[in-house]
Amino acid sequence: MSLRTPAAIALALFFAAGGAAASEDRAIVLAVEEAGFAPSEIEAPSGARVRLEVTNRTAAAIEFESFELNRERVIQPGQTAAVYVSGLGPGRYEFFDDFHQQRRGALLVR
Amino acid sequence: MFETLLIVWRESLEAALIVGVLLTYLGRSGQRSGVAYVWAGTLLAVVAALACGVASNDAASHLDADLQELLQAGILFLAVAVLTWMILWMHRNAGGLGGDLRRKADAALARGRLIGLATIAFVAVFREGLETVLFLWGVLVQRTDLTVLPFIGAGLAGAALAVVTAWLFFRGFQFLSLRRFFRVTGVLLLLVAAGLLMSAVNKLIGLGYLSPVAAQVWNTAWLVRDDSPVGAFLGALVGYRSRPSLAEVLAFAAYVPLMLWALHRADAAGAPVERASARTAA
Repeated sequence: MSLRTPAAIALALFFAAGGAAASEDRAIVLAVEEAGFAPSEIEAPSGARVRLEVTNRTAAAIEFESFELNRERVIQPGQTAAVYVSGLGPGRYEFFDDFHQQRRGALLVR
Repeated sequence: MFETLLIVWRESLEAALIVGVLLTYLGRSGQRSGVAYVWAGTLLAVVAALACGVASNDAASHLDADLQELLQAGILFLAVAVLTWMILWMHRNAGGLGGDLRRKADAALARGRLIGLATIAFVAVFREGLETVLFLWGVLVQRTDLTVLPFIGAGLAGAALAVVTAWLFFRGFQFLSLRRFFRVTGVLLLLVAAGLLMSAVNKLIGLGYLSPVAAQVWNTAWLVRDDSPVGAFLGALVGYRSRPSLAEVLAFAAYVPLMLWALHRADAAGAPVERASARTAA
């Protein structure tokens, strides 16, 4: 009795969906500095596929986190992580550094 | 400092709960030979997390951030596969264990299963342990004098609190009858596996390899906030998120019924054997 086949089919479907949705990416550069996110507010058009390029410019690990965007990424000092978000409706999506919670920012989707 | 405690509590909780359910299951089912393997996996993970955490702060050894994340997703899929296999054999075991527990005490576990137990413990602890080490290392880097000590203390207290939380949770399990205990741990492990699967899918979406299909299916933040204690507990245990994407919900909705069907099939296949052995025993 094996579960591998159905699991593989489900996985293949998800990957297929990912490929189909890949269109023009909009890149937004975001830095994490000691004082906070720079810039602290970024904008994207509604429905777009956005690649946030988050660079940790501090001396310690950070965790880019957003409940609204359903994302979390630990980023080590000096590293850049690509965080994709897509299909967002208009609104304000807040994010923060979970390891240093005074650092906060938001993505405005119009 | 309180923030440090909370962060470490949250980071350690998932590991504590997964190790907790394994130890509780092994203890109650009399399969004590597995306990050492769970602890071995746990200790190895702590050492590995410390080593990787410290090594990764040496800029030269930096692995690309997105590659690390992809690796994490792969590890999660591996964990789901091993956990799935374990849930199935635990379920098959439970039928035989119900009757005469003392006779079955310290039943030997096959080597593959022991390694499976150690693997689950290792993955659970390493994943969360690494994040905790990176976080605490950051605290250490920012304060090079003695003012760092209370923060390290708060970190250790957070980890201890996670262990206590898991212990209190599983203490409640000892009041269940053996039959119900196996049922509850089975369902719990199934939900843990589904939660890890959702996490893996979430990582692939965040990396741009998968489409979320729909970015947000629902929003239950009004009921349980992600950063509330209940949200953190549910997040650690079954991968709760207030705003899941459709792809994550689909992964969960595909996995759980599939597993229930597999367990049901195992029941149907196991039943005649159990009856036969019962006759032999009589």
